[in-house]
Amino acid sequence: MAAVYKSLSKSAKKVEDTENDNNTTTNGGFRKNKQRVLILSSRGVTYRHRHLLNDLAAMLPHGRKDVKFDSKSKLYQLNELAELYNCNNVMFFEARKGKDLYMWFSKVPNGPTVKFHAQNLHTMEELHFTGNCLKGSRPLLSFDLAFEQEPHYRVIKEVFLQMFGVPQGARKSKPFIDHVMSFSIADGKIWVRNYEIREVEKAKGEKDSEGNDIVPESDKSSSKKRKGAPNAELKDTDVSLVEIGPRFVLTPIIIQEGAFGGPIIYENKRFISPNQVRSELRKAKATRHNARVEQVKERLGKLETLTAQAKKEKDVLDTRELFA
Amino acid sequence: MPRQSTRTKKPATEALEAEKVEKLVEEKPQKEQKKRGRKPKQVVEETPVEDKMEVEEEQKGEETTTQTKADEQKPEQQEEAGSDSEEGSDDEEDNDLDLDALDESDSDSEFERDLNEKQSAAGIQANKYQKAAEESSDEEEDEDEIDIDELDVDGEEGEEVKAISKARQTINNKQGLLTALKRFALDTTDKVPFAFHQSIVAKKVTEESIPSIDDDLARELAFMNQALEAARVGRTLLRKEGVPFTRPTDYFAETLRSDETMEKVKAKLIEEATAKKASAEARKQRDLKKFGKQVQVAKQQERAKQKRDTLEKINLLKKKRKDGGGPTGANEAEDLFDVAVDNELKGGPSGNNSKKRGRDGKEGGGPNAKRQRKDAKFGFGGKKKYAKSNDALSSGDVSGFSARKMKSGGPAGGKPKKFKPAPRPGKARRKAGAGKR
Repeated sequence: MAAVYKSLSKSAKKVEDTENDNNTTTNGGFRKNKQRVLILSSRGVTYRHRHLLNDLAAMLPHGRKDVKFDSKSKLYQLNELAELYNCNNVMFFEARKGKDLYMWFSKVPNGPTVKFHAQNLHTMEELHFTGNCLKGSRPLLSFDLAFEQEPHYRVIKEVFLQMFGVPQGARKSKPFIDHVMSFSIADGKIWVRNYEIREVEKAKGEKDSEGNDIVPESDKSSSKKRKGAPNAELKDTDVSLVEIGPRFVLTPIIIQEGAFGGPIIYENKRFISPNQVRSELRKAKATRHNARVEQVKERLGKLETLTAQAKKEKDVLDTRELFA
Repeated sequence: MPRQSTRTKKPATEALEAEKVEKLVEEKPQKEQKKRGRKPKQVVEETPVEDKMEVEEEQKGEETTTQTKADEQKPEQQEEAGSDSEEGSDDEEDNDLDLDALDESDSDSEFERDLNEKQSAAGIQANKYQKAAEESSDEEEDEDEIDIDELDVDGEEGEEVKAISKARQTINNKQGLLTALKRFALDTTDKVPFAFHQSIVAKKVTEESIPSIDDDLARELAFMNQALEAARVGRTLLRKEGVPFTRPTDYFAETLRSDETMEKVKAKLIEEATAKKASAEARKQRDLKKFGKQVQVAKQQERAKQKRDTLEKINLLKKKRKDGGGPTGANEAEDLFDVAVDNELKGGPSGNNSKKRGRDGKEGGGPNAKRQRKDAKFGFGGKKKYAKSNDALSSGDVSGFSARKMKSGGPAGGKPKKFKPAPRPGKARRKAGAGKR
């Protein structure tokens, strides 16, 4: 009876109920965050792509890794696959030409879908960072302010939030928070980093001076901290970060309205396909070579005409003529 | 600069434009849409102004690449986002800025820079397009709004949807993006507890604190600072909400990176540290060696100098004595001293020689210590001839003879035993010895 009363009293408060998704229920005035991510790759991924996929899968306790998907053209089939596994997110690694990696992030039943080109991949294994964290602990997600400034970045941010953010109370998640995933925008690309949060002992004086050097907000936050938590232990510790890995850089290419389909609602004009880059490079090389070859041809032609001329023209004053 | 390849997309899009046919796009058949790929799916409607542009571009030939087109658009979008001031000068500025930004940013592709240079050359023409495009884009926006509304209503019912957009340009349907966002966004406002989403938006734009994207250190620092700020804020918020944050030291669980990996990392760190230490040690040793030689030379010089000084002193004394007129109150000690001084003086003429030798540092006790030892052991000077031949005494000496040895097998057994050098000590012992040294 109490439960019924609770739910009733809470439902009176809630406002956001009108916009409901099929995967969401209401809980205390806001949607419950239920996410499951299907993580899979296409065929033809390199070891590095595969390791990155494994790293990401290890970081997402709400993820479901599946076998390689055997098609690059019929991606809409992934929707059914995701439904089969009760996933509402799909993270699809599409490898092309055995070197280029495209990452598709899709919210499954209703979209949107974001396609990225992934570059500068560095897996956890190959980066010899000293950081480590619990497997499946919920990360803090740190977004650049630039994510709020453009609509397409806002969409991307939301997708990241739902994919990389481990939902509260996920099955295999751990109760402590010990790492930050940071997403920054620089150079029109999204740079993803993963850091461990380490608590370090610090004297008060040091903290003020050093904290000011690094981040101006530290003073405010530390004072808040003292107010909020009067524990002696909290006062003394400060936060430092140690990188864990993996590292990668994503260039958004398109955003589709549906899940692996639907109209394109964003297209990155600054994106140039790696194929084009390579072909340009090749062509630049070819032009150099062509110019050289032409030069050689020209020279040979000149030489030929000269010799022909010399042969043809016989002067009256030529020695052969004179003393013949 | 080859331009053909950059034009790959154009023919298809032109064809679409030429048709100018309205098509109905369904929500369901994703297969078709997928096939069409990145080409715009939506209906194309061109304003006359756009058409003119198209013609102009055709005249221009193949100069305009897709990239160029994209850049023409950029200022336009900025304007859309911000104020609607449409002045020629403004446009020009925007364009220049854009190009600069592009120049800076894309470090990996050389050819793009070339492209940009070309663009700046054709910048004036591009500006013309911009103005035209802006005019048309306003209309487009209006259309978009209407269409999106329709789309929203229809989308939930799974019915057909139609939307209109430009075909030739890159798409940035802001309304569509926002509606899409609204459809699936989680509530991350202050109304929900922070532990629900755990996402923090930084207060600063990170790119502003990166001087150059190629500067790895500065870039990573900027990213880290962003994350650090988030960690601090997040910790504060979570603690306020009473969510456990710090992992207690006695909480053990599987970690993201396996113990083997961490072991490897540790091994690598240790290896690096030891290598560093070893190199430092080696350098120190080298320096010491160099310095040691210097010290030795200095010592030798000092000794030589001391010797010279004493000799001079003695000479001086001797002269004084001579001037004083012979040994006056001469007791035995003074006589002895005199003899010593005389001897020293006798060595005087040869003292020049000794001076010569003095540079070699052999002046002190004659030859060096090693020579002295050898002299003591083997003798010095004298007749060398017949030194080893027997004489009466030696031939009479039978102390080295032993009958038993003779019987047991001759010198073959004895001799090697006698001359066998001490065996080489084991590696461990040698190392230990080296350590002592």
